[in-house]
Amino acid sequence: MSLLNQTGSVIAMNVRSIPQRLWMSLATVGSIALVVAVLLGFLALANGFNQTLKGSGAPDVAIALRDGSAAELNSTISREQIDLLGQGPGVRAGPDGRPLISAELVLIVDGIKKSTATKANMPLRGIGPNGLLVRPQAKISQGRMFTPGSNEIVVGAGLLREFSGFELGKTLRFGAQTWKVVGVFEAPGTVFESELWADAPVIQSLFKRGSTFQTARVGLTSPAAMPAFVKYVKDEQRLQLKAQSEQTYFADQAERSGLLIKYFGWPLGIIMAIGALAGALNTMYASVSSRAAEIATLRVIGFSGFSAFVGTMVEALVLSALGALVGVAICAMGFNGLSASTLGAGFTQVAFRLQVGPDIITQAVTLALTIGLIGGIFPGLRASRQRPLLALAA
Amino acid sequence: MTDFDLVWKNLFRKPLRTILLTVSIFMAFLIFGILTSLNVALDRASESGSASNRLVVSNKINFTQSMPYAYINRVAAIPGVTAVTYQNWFGAYYQDQRTSRFVGFAVDPETYMAIFRDEARLTDAERQAFLTERNGVIVGKSLADRYGWKVGQTIPISSNIYSQANGRRSWDMKISGIFTGAKPTDPTTAIYFHYDYMNETITFNRDQVGTITVVTASPDQNDQVAKAIDANFANSPAETSTVDEKTFSRAFLKQAGDLNFIVTMVVSAAFAAILMIVSTTLVSAMRERTKEIGVMKTLGFSSPRVLRMVLGEAVLLSSLGAVLGLGTSAFILTGLSKSPVGSNFGDLSMSPVVALTGLALAVSLGLVTGAIPALSALRMSIIEALNRG
Repeated sequence: MSLLNQTGSVIAMNVRSIPQRLWMSLATVGSIALVVAVLLGFLALANGFNQTLKGSGAPDVAIALRDGSAAELNSTISREQIDLLGQGPGVRAGPDGRPLISAELVLIVDGIKKSTATKANMPLRGIGPNGLLVRPQAKISQGRMFTPGSNEIVVGAGLLREFSGFELGKTLRFGAQTWKVVGVFEAPGTVFESELWADAPVIQSLFKRGSTFQTARVGLTSPAAMPAFVKYVKDEQRLQLKAQSEQTYFADQAERSGLLIKYFGWPLGIIMAIGALAGALNTMYASVSSRAAEIATLRVIGFSGFSAFVGTMVEALVLSALGALVGVAICAMGFNGLSASTLGAGFTQVAFRLQVGPDIITQAVTLALTIGLIGGIFPGLRASRQRPLLALAA
Repeated sequence: MTDFDLVWKNLFRKPLRTILLTVSIFMAFLIFGILTSLNVALDRASESGSASNRLVVSNKINFTQSMPYAYINRVAAIPGVTAVTYQNWFGAYYQDQRTSRFVGFAVDPETYMAIFRDEARLTDAERQAFLTERNGVIVGKSLADRYGWKVGQTIPISSNIYSQANGRRSWDMKISGIFTGAKPTDPTTAIYFHYDYMNETITFNRDQVGTITVVTASPDQNDQVAKAIDANFANSPAETSTVDEKTFSRAFLKQAGDLNFIVTMVVSAAFAAILMIVSTTLVSAMRERTKEIGVMKTLGFSSPRVLRMVLGEAVLLSSLGAVLGLGTSAFILTGLSKSPVGSNFGDLSMSPVVALTGLALAVSLGLVTGAIPALSALRMSIIEALNRG
């Protein structure tokens, strides 16, 4: 009998004998499934948040902030600066023939987070007609757009999902002013969906902002025009602003939120994995000792130690693969697409959906198979080294 | 030989198996110890420095919107209010905006120190210095330790919100004192400096205050005073929202997400996994011993005594793992408290409540995992046991 044949039949024997140790094997599968589910849950949380931030930025839109401001909230920009920005190289012309610049204001208003029933920071963004042109993803899905010059608000679908207080048709009071929610907009997979939008000049006057704005989004002719425009803003002494591509701006924020995985998800996943590994080792040692007589018999009739090793190894891998499968299934069905929200870099809430993608599934499955591999090696070695006669004598 | 000796010997009959089970249990309690303590520290952070008779007045639109300076005196005049102070968020950082941001408020030194005397403990000399030095700043002990700051030193503090009329983004501040918290568990990672020093140099938002802290005559008057304050400013351009301090800081902490929920889910998952591993392994371990149990019963061990011994073994096993796991997490938490990230939470060390809850969990885990093998041992007749295996 060739080594290959030997190994094949031992593997088959091992796997078929799993039902004899049904409960311990199930416990191994279950504990590995839980490890995978916990790790994948955290990774899906981080992944969903990062994808939302990354999906928000366009490569051909520059965002200009006051030099030194890390967030839109802390920035100020004057009308004159906006005009200067329009004279930069590579600025696209809008439908009216003028530079495509969306001068915007952001301020924070209170909403109620549904999951905790506590107050949370909602961004109220003042935009002009160009606001929609630099965000082609955004579409009104219910009601209508606000009318320029009126106290009307449109609300993002993501915000509506996670927070209460801004339902369509609702009248709101900010200070002495009343506002009406007239529409809902969708911009799937972007942070904008977590915002409230209103007419910029109305916000300037009702919130006493004079004629100042906070940020400007500048549409460029192509992503290739970005470096020249960024350099223009940097060198123009009268501006004192910093421009960067919207894509970079959000990618930067996504990078910082990677901390969630670093400090929480992976350490937890690994600690749980070690716990599950100890369980897997026990199961596999039990498998080896319950088959002691069988292994010894095989050795006596000429089977190699190697086949005993591989048989045990494959059994462990099969159990861990089953565990991984169950864990991934739990996450894909239970967590994927689940809505959540957290405080973003702009000091306002970002609503996002958990995303279980191929990348993170690969990571979690790798962890599960590592448990199987290590959980199989040592018991496998014991099986291969077992002295045939001693085992039969027992 | 006592029963305990027998239990102990049984436990280590297969040392490797017992060690592996202990590792599993250890890991579950490590997760429990660390996560629960973090959660407790966060809850405590929302309560630290909140007194029951203090209210926070902020702009009703959101607490990042400011209120006119004139509100301070109008709030002070409301019946039931015994003291007021105010603070402005500064967006403070030292040198590097990304890595060294911390809590910084512009305050009115005299009223601030009177109300927060316990939360920001200073010597009389330091207090006096802070009152008289116009560019004075008091810094929390953890921050001072982190950057090696000393009293009397002048440090540049920058703002990610404000800039000065001369274009500078940093303010030179002289350290008047280094404060400690009321309890060693309170975080001391903030700085406080003169409102006037900031107000006369900033380019916008002058004569505005961020939040106003109000002390009421007694906690029973809180609701009434809060209502009176909000009514006073109703229909004005800056309406107010007044809540007690605890509510205010809880709501703020909850903005990050529902940590309680996440911790509960993860700890449950870890325990579910360990429960499965330990109980199935114990069942199979007991099966190996069926014959032995038969012999013990033949020798006159009563069934309840056998039950106690089997349960005892399971409880001993889980307690062993739990004590090691809780001990290690206490050790890790102490280390974490000293790290820059951890110091923001204040004292992270494990509270007696967490430790006791952990031990109670360990005993329950032992009883649950031992239940099936113990019951089968109890019910087993001698003949059946001796015939099997």
